[in-house]
Amino acid sequence: MTMVTEKDINEQIAWAKINTDVLKSMENPRPAYWVTLAVCIAMVACAVLAEYIQYTVGMGTADLNNPHMWDMYIAAFVFWIGMSHSGTLLSAILHLIHADWRKPIYRFAEAMTTFSLLTAGIFPMIHLGRVWNLYWVLPYVSDRGIWPNFRSPLVWDAFAITTYLTASMLFLFVGMIPDLAICRDNTTGWRKKLYGILALGWIGSDRQWRHFRKIYLLMACFLIPLAVSVHSIVSADFAMSIMPGWHITSFPPYFVAGALYSGCAAIITLFVLLRYFFRFEDYMTLPIMEKTAKLTFAIAMVWTYLNLIEFASVWYGHDVYNKELLIAKATGAYAWIFWTMLFCGSVLPFALAFRKLRRHMPTMFVVSLFLNLGMFFERWMIVAPTLSMSHEPHQWDIMYGSIVEWAIVFGSFGWFGMLFLVFVKVFPSVSMYEVKEMVFHRKRSAGEEDLARMTDHAKPVTQTTGGGGA
Amino acid sequence: MSLDNILNHWSDYRKGSEDGGHHDYEHRWAMAINLDLCIGCNACSTACYAENNLAVVGKERFEKGQAMHWMRIERYWDQQELEHPEQGASFLPMMCQQCGAATCEPVCPVAATYHTPDGLNAQVYNRCIGSRYCSNNCPFRVRYFNFYSYYDSSWPEPMEQQLNPDISVRDKGVMEKCTFCMQRIRSVKDKAFMEDRPVQDGEVVPACAQSCPTSAIVFGDTMDDGSMVSKLWKKHQVERGVYQKTKLAKKDADLRGYRIFEELNVDPSVMYLERVREDI
Amino acid sequence: MMGLFGDFEEAHDAIADIRRNEVPGLTVDDVTMTSPIEHPEVEEVLGDRPVHIQKFTLFGAIFGVVFGFIFLAAAQASFLVQPQGGKPVIALPSNIVLVYEMLIFFAVWLTFFSFIFLSGLLKKRSSLYSEKVSLDQVAIIVEIDESIGESVKGLFEKHKVLEIREEAIR
Repeated sequence: MTMVTEKDINEQIAWAKINTDVLKSMENPRPAYWVTLAVCIAMVACAVLAEYIQYTVGMGTADLNNPHMWDMYIAAFVFWIGMSHSGTLLSAILHLIHADWRKPIYRFAEAMTTFSLLTAGIFPMIHLGRVWNLYWVLPYVSDRGIWPNFRSPLVWDAFAITTYLTASMLFLFVGMIPDLAICRDNTTGWRKKLYGILALGWIGSDRQWRHFRKIYLLMACFLIPLAVSVHSIVSADFAMSIMPGWHITSFPPYFVAGALYSGCAAIITLFVLLRYFFRFEDYMTLPIMEKTAKLTFAIAMVWTYLNLIEFASVWYGHDVYNKELLIAKATGAYAWIFWTMLFCGSVLPFALAFRKLRRHMPTMFVVSLFLNLGMFFERWMIVAPTLSMSHEPHQWDIMYGSIVEWAIVFGSFGWFGMLFLVFVKVFPSVSMYEVKEMVFHRKRSAGEEDLARMTDHAKPVTQTTGGGGA
Repeated sequence: MSLDNILNHWSDYRKGSEDGGHHDYEHRWAMAINLDLCIGCNACSTACYAENNLAVVGKERFEKGQAMHWMRIERYWDQQELEHPEQGASFLPMMCQQCGAATCEPVCPVAATYHTPDGLNAQVYNRCIGSRYCSNNCPFRVRYFNFYSYYDSSWPEPMEQQLNPDISVRDKGVMEKCTFCMQRIRSVKDKAFMEDRPVQDGEVVPACAQSCPTSAIVFGDTMDDGSMVSKLWKKHQVERGVYQKTKLAKKDADLRGYRIFEELNVDPSVMYLERVREDI
Repeated sequence: MMGLFGDFEEAHDAIADIRRNEVPGLTVDDVTMTSPIEHPEVEEVLGDRPVHIQKFTLFGAIFGVVFGFIFLAAAQASFLVQPQGGKPVIALPSNIVLVYEMLIFFAVWLTFFSFIFLSGLLKKRSSLYSEKVSLDQVAIIVEIDESIGESVKGLFEKHKVLEIREEAIR
């Protein structure tokens, strides 16, 4: 007998239930929500205070020095940009390969992308010595006839992140239009007005659906190369320099793999949280969690491979600077960060290989947090050791970050949390129309399977009935 | 307009430094530092502080690594086999090497550092927004960032009277580095222009060269074949724009000249003459 | 006139009937179907209605490349003081990266605006809109003369219509 596999979603769910469940998640929040929001705002306040000190007194308050001109800010910047890639992975890549199990979970992942980018965008501002002149990086026609230096990877960053943020926001918005129409039809008061404007007059006509399908496909096709290029450009901040430990050709794929990895881990974290708090067990089902965990495991293995290949190429070459740096990373002052990164990034994902652990939500929550910790340490390991041990021995130095830096990095998590919390209460965090599509198609294919099975058993096979849809 | 500009000068604008770049140099300032003569007295460093309005940051900040010494004396003990190893101290005066293919230049997001027609790497304080990528990309680590505003801490009343009026005092958030005493070069060039003659060798003396008690630092123009610096460079077979260290085997002990990190191909303008080590 | 149907199959069959001209005076071109989810298979019966968004995308991409490169090269050529670091004034590797980003930037914006306009999104909604469509019902809206109203109603009832609404337009 064939084994009955657990279904990603129950096809018998009534569509009305989908609407009510998701709309209920947007109702007036319980006290726990307000407490969490207050905590996030407190974290942001910490960061604002630290930044005020830094802005008025100078970058020296962050304990930066020669050679550590970059430290936690850049590590956090790369971390947040990296986290944004999973939304694109889920929305765009899985859409192109018709993996419909992404449908219940891609909305909050795409929101996570947008908010990660908004959080990451803070760091280029904060780490500048003269923040008020930040706009000089943008190419505008100035009366002095001066332009930014287009050869600099930081300018490429500006272009790439602007493009990615725009494309992500547009993709999130366009994908939400049918859902906003549902919200518009089922709410009152200020919400109805808001959704009425945002839904842009969507009525679900065939003309609108036809164009919608087209734009969704086109934007997904653009978002994938864009996401890859954005993190490659961010890696170019390091790879285009000549520093040992930075000037590595495998940095673009290494960064993209790390980005997908930390993004998938963040998706698991938010999955567990949303499922618990909004009782989305019918939509964010255990099989979908399993699939997400398997995807994360695969990406973890890719990341591990790219790490190993970097070590291998250092060992293979005779570059004295790179070799000594790698030995210092593994045995020197940063060794505890290095080994934690390797443990969290390469050993811990094996927890995702066990079916029992994959289906246990608290374990998944804790594991995903540690995976992200490993990825944060990875970013730290990229930035700090190279600067501490570069070409010139007179300027070797060790630094672990300062209070001001940690406060601002800590606050960025609060900022992200704040944005995300507001999002889940104002916009539907599960894509209602896509879940209906998923249910519709699975019901139909289950029906056809049943029909095929029935006609198989019936002998002799004459003809299938004409019903069952077009 | 600019389209014409691009089309007419397309081939020029596509040339990198290996092909000669897109403009001609008037001078190529360079230095030759004799490490055998250097006694590590730090007079050059002090003179640089005085000449260029460098901030004295204080003991605490110096220990944190936030010092502003454009010219620093590095000390290395590399002869452990000696009976008294401390005798093997070597001193390296390190300042901006004014690289011909500077790695700091292309990475500045706002074009605050560029290559002058004099062959120097210039830092434009007003344009710098403090992203510090240039310092990260400098293999010599000779770029210094103004981590604080030093007006009150470094020059309390009446010490601001000692500031050099030819040079600005930099505020916080701006990157700075050795400029080969650009203000002195500029005033000599202006004087020569007024007198309608070329700049003579030995007319431009940077603060560090001026104050060195052993005359270890020689400054000049490598485009002027008669200058002391050109002669030293030629004698020790160090050449600009040569991307491979094509030095003969050291049959001749006098061939002591080298440039630091030459394998990185950044084309530094400072040649060091290796210290003569005692063979025991 | 709008007819609300309980599931997609019936609505699909109703349109198929209209296509086969079972109601004289009503062609498939007057039919609009509104639904809570997309149904690409309705294209078979509704006829060929082309979508033009991709032309705008292509235009946007080409514009991004051409404008991007000319803009960058012009800026670099007029700002000769720009740092070299041994690199040429118009550096192709940097320009390629930036042009790539501008390609995607303009393509995405043009796709978005063409979607808004070509799909008729910003029009005022007619009163023939039912909230049930956003729930789980499919609606067929036809523009007809009053004379064939009864035969259209008959067709809808044949396919188990749940509700019929009418609106008079002068």
